[in-house]
Formats: sequence, C-alpha cells, structure tokens
Amino acid sequence: MNFNEKDLVNGCKQRNRAAQKQLYDVFGGKLFAICLRYTKNRADAEDVLQDAFIKIYENIDSFRNDSPLEYWLRSVVVNTALNHLRQQKYLKDLDDIDMHHNGIADREITLGNFQMQQLLELIRELPTGCQTIFNLYAIEGYQHNEIAQKLGISEGTSKSQYARARSLLQQKLNKEKRFDDGSVRNKQL
Amino acid sequence: MMDPSEINNFEDQWRKAFQEASETPPQSVWEGIEAHLDKDDKSTIVPLWWQSPKLWYAAASIAAILLVGAGFWFSKSGESYKKMDTEIAANKMPQQKKDSNKAPTDQTVKSEEENKVLAVSPGVTTDSFVKPENKTNKNNERAAFRNSSQSFLAKNTSGNKKSEAAVDESQKIINPSSISDSERSLLAATDANDSVPEIAGQQTLVSSQALAALPYNDLEVHFQKRYIFFRPESNSEESVKPVKHKEYWAGLGLMPASFNPDLKIKEAPLAFTSNFVSNRKSVSGSSQPGASYAIQTQGGMRLSKHWSVELGVSYLQGNSSYEGGGYVLSAKNYKSANVLENALADLAPNANTPSNSYDFINGGSTYIDVSKTVSNNYQYLQLPVQAGFTINPDKKLSYSVLGGMMANFFLSNDLESASGEIITTTASDDIYRSVNWSATTGLRFNYRLSSKWKANLTGSYQKAVSSGFRSNQSLDLHPVLYGVSWGVRYSF
Repeated sequence: MNFNEKDLVNGCKQRNRAAQKQLYDVFGGKLFAICLRYTKNRADAEDVLQDAFIKIYENIDSFRNDSPLEYWLRSVVVNTALNHLRQQKYLKDLDDIDMHHNGIADREITLGNFQMQQLLELIRELPTGCQTIFNLYAIEGYQHNEIAQKLGISEGTSKSQYARARSLLQQKLNKEKRFDDGSVRNKQL
Repeated sequence: MMDPSEINNFEDQWRKAFQEASETPPQSVWEGIEAHLDKDDKSTIVPLWWQSPKLWYAAASIAAILLVGAGFWFSKSGESYKKMDTEIAANKMPQQKKDSNKAPTDQTVKSEEENKVLAVSPGVTTDSFVKPENKTNKNNERAAFRNSSQSFLAKNTSGNKKSEAAVDESQKIINPSSISDSERSLLAATDANDSVPEIAGQQTLVSSQALAALPYNDLEVHFQKRYIFFRPESNSEESVKPVKHKEYWAGLGLMPASFNPDLKIKEAPLAFTSNFVSNRKSVSGSSQPGASYAIQTQGGMRLSKHWSVELGVSYLQGNSSYEGGGYVLSAKNYKSANVLENALADLAPNANTPSNSYDFINGGSTYIDVSKTVSNNYQYLQLPVQAGFTINPDKKLSYSVLGGMMANFFLSNDLESASGEIITTTASDDIYRSVNWSATTGLRFNYRLSSKWKANLTGSYQKAVSSGFRSNQSLDLHPVLYGVSWGVRYSF
C-alpha cells in the first residue's frame, strides 16, 4: 500500500478518521501478530490490539517523525500486551528457575522449514512468564536488565526464565522431530 | 556453556521468522476502536459549546444580572461580604444546615468525617491521607517522565536508543511490592519509547487520586461557609431564570385550508327591489367554502419554559363560491348582473362600475330566478400575533396551544359576474375594509428534528370579529377559516 508516513501521522494527529483507518490498515496485521505472540488466545490478542490502537490514537501527538513509526507502534503494542498480562496476574509470581541441563545438545537449528503459525504455536505453549521473556529478549531484542525494569523482576529471574523458555522450545522441537529433517507436521493454530 | 555465537544464531532465527509476521485482525477490532473514538469525539463536543458566542452572551448577561442584583442588595443591607458568600454557596445550603447544628463541635465533626472517608475507601484514598508526600513524589516523577521522553526523541536520531528516564509508573500500580525500590531509583535506565502508554496510565493514577481527595475538600468548604445559612434568599437567582429559556425561532409553513367568507346580502340591491320576488329571493343566497391555502412565515420568542409569543406574515388565497340570489337583465342594454355584483356595485362610492343599478332601474329590467353558483375569491395579507403554551417543551414531541388576534389586510376580491367575467375589487375601490380583525386559535404538534430544526403540524381556526365591508348595511362578510399548516422552524 502506498502511503506517506508523515502525512499519515499528521492526519492521525488531526484526529482524521480516514487517516486513523489507514494507519490501522497498514500496520494492523503486523501489530496483531505481536499481540498473538504475547497472549494465549485470539480473543485476548484482539483485546490487546484494540487497546493498543486506542492508545496509539490518543498519544499520537507525542510521536515525532524523527524515529521510525513502526518502531514506536511496536513498542506501544508490546507495552499494552505487558499491561494486559499484569492485569490478568499472569506475571505475578515470576521466580528464578533452577535450571539443570536437560541433556539435549545445543544443536544448531534451522527454523526455515517451519511456518510462522507453527512457531507461534510453540511460543504460546510456553508458560506465560517464559513466553513473555522469550518474546522480549529473543524477538524484540531487549536486554535482560531492561526486561527486569519493565516487569519489576530481577535480572537473574529474567535470565533464568529465558533459559527455561529456550530449553522448552528445544524440547518441543526435538520431540516433534522438527530438526532440519524437513518432517514438518502441519498444525493448525 | 553455550557458545555465544550459537545463541545469537538461535535468536536471530526467531527474530527473522517473526520480523515480517502479519495476521489480519478481524473486522470487530476496528469496529471496537471506532466505537471508542466516536465516544471520545462526542465527549469533546461539550467544550465546543463553550466556544459558542451565544453561551458567552448568556454568561455575560447572567453575570451582569448577578452584578446588578448584588449591587442592589449591598446598597440595601450593607453587610456586603456575607451577601456575596450567600450567592456563591446558595446550592450548598441543605448540607450547611446539618453542619450548623453541630457548630460548637466542628473540629470533632471534621475529624470524624475524615475517619469515615478513611474507613469507606481504604485504597488509594488512604494513601493520600497517610502519605501525603507520596503524591508530590509522583508529580515530580511525572515531570521527569515528560522531560525524559523528549530527550529520548532527541537522542534517538543519533542512533542511541537509550536515555535517562524516570521509573515505570504503571509497574507500581500493579506490583505494590516494588514501589519503594522503584522510587529510590528515580532515574533508572529504560527504553524511553515505553513511556508513552505508561504516561497515560500514570495520568489515570494521578486523576484517581485527585478524585479520592475531593470529599476532603468539600468538607472544608462546608465548614468555612456554614454561618451564611441564615441569610434571607437572594432575589438575583430568580431573575436569572427567564434568560435560561429565551429562544428565538423563524418558521415557514404551507396551510391548505377551507375558507368561507360567510358573505350575506342583508337587503336587496337597488336593481332587485323593483318587484316582490326579486326583493325576497335576492337575499336567499349563501356562501360555500372552497379549497384555499395560506403561505405562512413566522418569528417567535420563547419567554419561559412553557410560554412563547409569535408574530407572522401570511398570504391567504381564500377561495369560495356564492350560490343563489338570481340575476337581473336590463331591458335597455341587455346587460345582466347577478345579485352579488349588483350589491357590490351599490357599495362603490363612484357610480361608474359596470353593474351599476341605475342601468337596470332607469331602463327597466327583468329578474331571472336561477340558482347559479359563482366563484368569489379573496386575497388577504395576514399578520397574526399569538401566544403559545407548550407542553413537553424540551421533549422530542411537544404540543402547543395557540391563541391570539390576526390583522387581515385586504388585497383583492375576484367575483365571477353573470356574464362569466371576473370582476376584481381591490383595496383602493374602498368597498372592503383595508384591515379586518379576526380571532385565531390552534393546536400545534412540534417534532424536534435536531437541536435547531423542528417540524410542526398546526391545526388553525380563524374567525373574523368584524365585518369585512366598510358599510355593513346591505352586505356582511365574516370569513371563517379551518386549516392544517405544515411547517418547519429554525431556532437561534
């Protein structure tokens, strides 16, 4: 879709409904994919997306054109998702996990054979704490100290939760024999 | 230990897999967002009202009335300071009455009520009482937030994603256990982009604290102004009320009507007096109503909640017919004239009208007793003045009962003659009165289309209270009209 990002933002700042709809049409899909990663079901993801867009429209005046719009939109969505998880008490008791080696070799894996939906399903099967920290660290690219600040946990907890998430994902991949052999089982979301 | 390069590889793969991930959200999400935005738009309409000059005029007039009223009051009594308080706190009197009974123990009462507040809302309210410095800290943090989000944007251009930013306030709301830690580390490093939604959350927190503190403020106000309860009622409050309901409107309508001039020949015209039959028969005719219409414009003013007054200008085309009376045929020039035209001719001050009776008297004439119907149409310009009483004035559907007087300015009369020609009589012929008064009453249904526009349906009845002729010795005219008017009005 052809659009001028600056005009779109200015339209949204003037509360122009057509501009707001265009912003939604352009970025709604990508942002909904983020919401799906942080939640357990579609209904929750839809709630998060709706709340996030309302925040985006209400706070669009604070966005300056000197940073990429998509980066700002993603950060609003991630924060909305975290607020949603806090409200649902999913992030209440995140403790250090005493990780022991699971015996699975840290083999190099290739995710190229997997469809996005399958990988999404794997992430959503993780415990909520692991799911959130995995999303923040591995995909969003936050550092552990930043995650600790965001979630009000210690840096150690963030690290151990991430290690747990990584381990669980490897177990799942191994169990379903999805390593490099191309035997991908199609799984519906 | 895992090889760091392997870890990066693992994360990079996941990041790459989801970098361009997209899933079309269902239509219901946008509908929900739109509904929320519509709600916001509606709520922002309210302040726009305050930008309308009309409201400022109203406010200015209220202020002027209050000022004049207050000045008048002060000059009368001299206890000026107490009077001013009376006006300001007039609507809080019932509560003050209760308080005044407890006057000697006011401090005790105050502290008791504070305790009640604490007991009823132990949440945020309790915090605001127990730790008043907490609120100040948060205000400082909020200021720090704003500064930090601005500085972030500046730094972000140069590729630096980090900036000095204040504590994530929303975390404090959710995790009370972390409050003390995060307060100590006011200037902790965080991604400043996060601050945007969190500022929104913080504002909610601050405003909820402000709400929780309201009862405490109210108590203070009551306590300070308690003594003024015993002041006599100020008159200025009453004088403001009429201003509130003042409203002007302009309306336009079309009224199909049944118009009957009720024209009667009281005594036979000269040409008909020659023999007994014509003398008797000539007065037996009668008027029949015809399909008529009026184009109406009106302007009105609402005086109070229910009462209004309105003025109008209407053009009435009143069609009717006259039946009976027969006609006369002149033996001299074979001219014919029906009873009505002959009667009108008799009334004319100049004797040059075509149906003048002398043609028929001097040359001899024959009376023909035929019941013929002739058209007799009137044009009037009407100026009604009516008072209205409206039931349900502020509802969607309201009803008004109207009553008043109407000045009918005679424009012209078209009478069909015996030969089929139309005889037009105008105001300058001095036969009809130029102004004829009638009484009018009506019932109106108003349907509010918008805040400015109303549609209305008005049933009207008009009856002349004076004769339409200058001389009512031989002819009488008392028009009666029934009509239903369809109209719209615009309020200013």
